[in-house]
Order: sequence, then structure tokens, then C-alpha cells
Amino acid sequence: MGKKKCVAMLLAGGKGSRLSSLTKSLAKPAVPFGGKYRIIDFTLSNCTNSGIDTVGVLTQYQPLVLNSYIGIGSAWDLDRKNGGVTVLPPYSESSEVKWYTGTASAIYQNLNYLKQYDPEYVLILSGDHIYKMNYELMLEYHVEKGADATISVIEVPWPEASRFGIMNTSEDMRVAEFDEKPAFPKNNLASMGIYIFNWPVLKEYLEMDDRNPESSHDFGKDIIPLMLDENKKLFAYPFNGYWKDVGTVKSLWEANMDLLDDECELNLFDHDWRIYSVNPNHPPQYISPEAEVAESLINEGCTIEGEVEKSVLFQGVLVGKGSVIRESVIMPDAIIGENVYIEKAIVPSGMKIPDGFVISSSEETDEIILITQEMIQGICS
Amino acid sequence: MKNRMLGVIDATTYHEDLEELTVHRSLAAVPFAGRYRLIDFVLSNMVNSDIESVAIFPKYQYRSLMDHLGSGKNWDLNRKRDGLFFFPSPLLDSPSKGIGSFNHFGANLDYFYRSKQEYALISNCFTVFNMDFRPVLERHINTGCDITVVRQDGRSLEMYLVKTSLLINLIETRNETGYTCMSDVVTDIHHSYTICNYEYTGLAVMIDSIDAYFAASISLLEPQAWKTIFKRSQPVYTKVKDEPPTRYIKGASAHNSMIANGCMIEGVVENSIISRGVKIGRGSVVKNCIIMQKSQIGENCVLDSVILDKDVKVESGTKIEGTHNMPLVIRKGTIQGALMNS
Repeated sequence: MGKKKCVAMLLAGGKGSRLSSLTKSLAKPAVPFGGKYRIIDFTLSNCTNSGIDTVGVLTQYQPLVLNSYIGIGSAWDLDRKNGGVTVLPPYSESSEVKWYTGTASAIYQNLNYLKQYDPEYVLILSGDHIYKMNYELMLEYHVEKGADATISVIEVPWPEASRFGIMNTSEDMRVAEFDEKPAFPKNNLASMGIYIFNWPVLKEYLEMDDRNPESSHDFGKDIIPLMLDENKKLFAYPFNGYWKDVGTVKSLWEANMDLLDDECELNLFDHDWRIYSVNPNHPPQYISPEAEVAESLINEGCTIEGEVEKSVLFQGVLVGKGSVIRESVIMPDAIIGENVYIEKAIVPSGMKIPDGFVISSSEETDEIILITQEMIQGICS
Repeated sequence: MKNRMLGVIDATTYHEDLEELTVHRSLAAVPFAGRYRLIDFVLSNMVNSDIESVAIFPKYQYRSLMDHLGSGKNWDLNRKRDGLFFFPSPLLDSPSKGIGSFNHFGANLDYFYRSKQEYALISNCFTVFNMDFRPVLERHINTGCDITVVRQDGRSLEMYLVKTSLLINLIETRNETGYTCMSDVVTDIHHSYTICNYEYTGLAVMIDSIDAYFAASISLLEPQAWKTIFKRSQPVYTKVKDEPPTRYIKGASAHNSMIANGCMIEGVVENSIISRGVKIGRGSVVKNCIIMQKSQIGENCVLDSVILDKDVKVESGTKIEGTHNMPLVIRKGTIQGALMNS
């Protein structure tokens, strides 16, 4: 294997339990988003658009869909002779099976993968977020600052700061302190879970962390605080732009709705920073004479015979006659029967909604409904 | 029955009636149905009929065709054995009367010699259809015919099934026999070959004029026709592009239309076929039109019965109208201004 300047390690083993039934049989990075994508497309596209051609993808929870989706990485132009995408599942050693117990342990157990490229820098990413970011600029910043590690941060609204890992920085952005979910935040710069490490430093700290039986083997909780204790040079890299953790049904819905907003910074139509995905082969969408479509994002392979407003429709969705879809996200190959009314809901992949089904969130709670098989059976029985 | 046929696609055809759309590209590469090119239909049919080796014989302007086909990956034809082959014509000025010029094949005889497939299916590149060729082979074998011609209502669809060995023989003896192509053999009576017909009853439209192109395109808006061409079990493959889903902005509306990905629709679209990456501005009305890839229509335009080729820019306030029987074709890459038409 040839030497690489920077290798990315993409953590994609998350369960995303707050996404409820959406992640019952697939990992959070594989959850559909934006009418055609899966969440991980954003990180993988960022890698390829940033000139990073070597990406290890760490999987653990429900990896089948994710593995077959990633394949050999050709969708992101990451099918390379030297480098490219490598899926890295947990494995057994002669003495025991070692599950990834934390973000740091996942990387530690794949030090051999990194060693074969002998990189100068290692970029740690998470496959859980929707954003467009040029990692090359972050790497330049890291080199300029002469840092041991650089952590990408984003300003979050003060009231929300206590939900995040907060970086307390000096004026030159050097990290003085890291507060994991502080009750009384001193700053509003939240860690985005994106780190660049000098490879020798990362290796040293991962090995140290592995020897510590007290450690939870997590970058935020263990590695970063340990480095700060030992006075390593850690810098915060401020990111401006759209960034969203789509960890809940509500935030997943909101991020989809953001795509319908003209003011939204997340532009999928930017040809200079394309978001790549596995392109299923579908004919163009067909909008029937009686259909109405307004303020929506609709993918190929859809057949629309009803009314669609302020909604995101993935490939292969059918909307029957007389049906109304409002402010909803309809995932791939879902079939909506006739005279159905759906408002503020998410319909999961492949679900069949029977004729006459009506569901909308109540005015008071304003909750987003994730439609389940039980709801359909409950109403029809 | 797997891998018993070679696919041979004649992509040299030039129809004068389609000149407006073939100035920059070969007929095989003419865009169709929003995201396809004409060759996609026959090529996908071949792949869906278990054909694993396809030879394409192009001539005129084949840059866009090669760009479209690439390694054949989108048709699963980037194989170690067999796959997609490209044989551009070494003879630029050899007009051929019919599909499958023996001269052109003769310049690439090695392909036929090296292939192990027992049969060859020779086809034109400009028919819109979704057909399984396996039943044709089965009938061809069972009836013991030498040449099977695929027909519809008696008319030849210019597709021929023949033993590869017989094809080689016809190519090698072309100077003695005087046969220049398959139709010469089929229409001649002074030989001992058994010619059989296979009647195809499904939808098949040969695109040989602007009228046929326009009518076939618009007819796809009939759900019945649409379902016959686009079957989930026998998909039509094409070069995929990384376009986002199509976005309908506030005030947009669409009826009875087929719309590909990557479009921004702010105006009104009716009875039209819109290709990938098209923009239709606020207040514009597009009716009975075929809009090809990346064309940009400004605000408050009116377009009726128009075929806009790729990369056309229509300035705001422009009105362009053809008639249903005589659609207007606007050439690739041109700019249409409001002043020009007033």
C-alpha cells in the first residue's frame, strides 16, 4: 500500500436509537435522507470532494444495508487501486471477539489498517450528520496551527449548548477545556465529532487509552480530556454552514423540510460540491393530469396521482388518486393508496398505506408521526 | 439459454428527417424520455435477454455516444470476458441501404470469429421498445430457420437473428453474392436460406422523423404506454447522473408530465417531457414540449409544441410556439431572446 497524507476513519456503527423503528434493521448512517440519499452520502461525498481517497468505514450495528450500499465505493468515486473505501467490521482475535466498545476503541482495533498507509494525519468522522465541509481546509488549518489535534466546532444557540460537547477556547482558538454536556456552559462552540490527529499522537493516545481499564474508550470523554491534561496542542476549527445531527424523528423531518426552504444553506444543486449516492435506475417521475405538486422535492421513479405539498418523496413512491400528502417525508418505494391523508409524518421505506388512511399530528403536540405497521393495522382492523 | 447470442447494434443510421437533432450527435445518442438516449432501449433489451457480449458499430458523430456508453458499466457490460465492444467505421463514405452493413462488419470480422456465442442478433439503434429477445431465439431454434426477422404488423423492425457462422459466411462472400446487408438477403428470393418472421405484438416505435420522435415522446404520457416501456422487471438502463431530486418551488405546478431529476420548476408544466437539470422560471408556461438536458427557461415565457435541444437558453419573456403537427425544434446550445420573436 502506498503512503497517504491523510486517511479518513468514518464511524458508522451507531444505532441511532432515538430514530425508533427507522433504525430497527439498519444503522443510522444508512437512514434515507433528502429524497434520494442516505445520511452517510454527505460524509463520503465530502471526503471525495475534499480529495481524500482513503476511507475506512467502521461498522457494527445492523451493517447489512450499509455494507451493500457502500459496496466498493464506486458511487463516490472511491473504488481505487491504492486506498478507496474499506469497510472495517469488528473481528475476533485468537483469544476473544472484540466489539467496538466506544469510538476510540473502534479506531484502536483498526490501527493495522492505518499502519499500512503510514499517513501523516488521520481524520475521524461520524456518519451521522448532514453537512457539506471541505476537510482540506480544516487540514490546512491544522498544519498552520502546528496542532497535535484539531476539532471542528460550530456555534450553537446558547440554550442548546448543554446538549453538546462544548470547547472552551482561548483567543487563538486553542482548546483550554472540554465540557461534555455541561449544565452551565461557558461557551457555545460545540464539537461536531470531526477530528484531525497527527498520526503518531493518535497512535500513542489510543494505545494509552486501551491500557486504561477505567476508560470508556470514547474520543470526547477520554482521549480529548487526556490530551488536554497532558498539555497537548488542541485547536478548535470553526465551521460556518449547515450542520445537522439528524438523531431524532423530529430532527430528521426538520432537516428534510430545510431542503424546501429557499434560505437554506444546504444546496443540493451545487455542481461544484455534488452529493453523490448510489443511483437506482428509475424512469423520470410521472405527474398525472389530476395531480397537484407544490413546494416539494420529488425523486425519479415516483408516480403522483394525488396532491403533494411541502413534502420530500424518495424514488419509487406511488401516490394514489385523491390522496393528500402535506409536510411529510415519504421514503423509497412506499405505496400510498387512494384517498389517503398524511400530514407531518414520515412514511418508512416500502410501507403500503391502505386506501382511506388518515393521519396528522395534533395541533397541540406538533409532534412528527413516524408511521408504523401497527398504526396501519390498528386503524384497519 | 444464457449467453447464447451476440448483440450487434448498427449505430450508423442517419435519417435526414431528424437532421435538426443529429447535427451534434448520432441517431443512437438522441435523447429520449427525459433521461435516456435511443440506444438505451435496444441495449437494455439485449442485456435483459441474457446477452453478455454487445458490439456497437457507429459512424457519424459518435463522441456523445461513446461518452454515454463509457465502459458499459451502467448496463453491467464492463466484464472481463465479453462485455461491450465499439467498432467505429473505418470507411466514412460507404452509404449502406439497410441495417448491418456487411462491409462494416467485414472490417471487424475478428470479433465474430473470436466470439463463442452461437447466434447473433443484429438490430437498429433507433427503436423505442421493451422486448425480451429470448422467445425469438427459442422460436428460431425450434423452427430451424436460417434467418428470423422481427416484424410488427408485417413491417420489418430491422432486427435479425442468425447463426454467427452464417453471418460470417454472408460477410465473407459479400463480393460474390452482392449482398450488402441483412435486408438484401431477406428480400432476395434467389437463395436457399429459410427466412422466418417473428411477429412482435408489444409497443415498438421506430424513430425516423421529427414527427415520429415528437409523437412517440408525448405518447409516453399515456400510463398504458409508459408501463409497457418502463417495467420494473425489465428496466431500461442508462448513464446515471448524480442529480438531486427535482424541486418544485412555490407557485410551480405540473400536470400530465414526465420529469427527470435535477430540475427546478417554478412555472407551469403541462403535457411535457422534461430532462435532467432543466430550469423553468417563475410565470413561465411549458405545454406539449420536450425539453432536453440543462436547458434554462427564464421567467414569463410561453412554450407550446417545442422541442428544445440540450443547453438552450430561453430569455425571460420569450414566446415560442409550434403546432402539434409541426413542432418547432430549437438547436442545441442556442439562445432564444424575447426580441427575436417579437
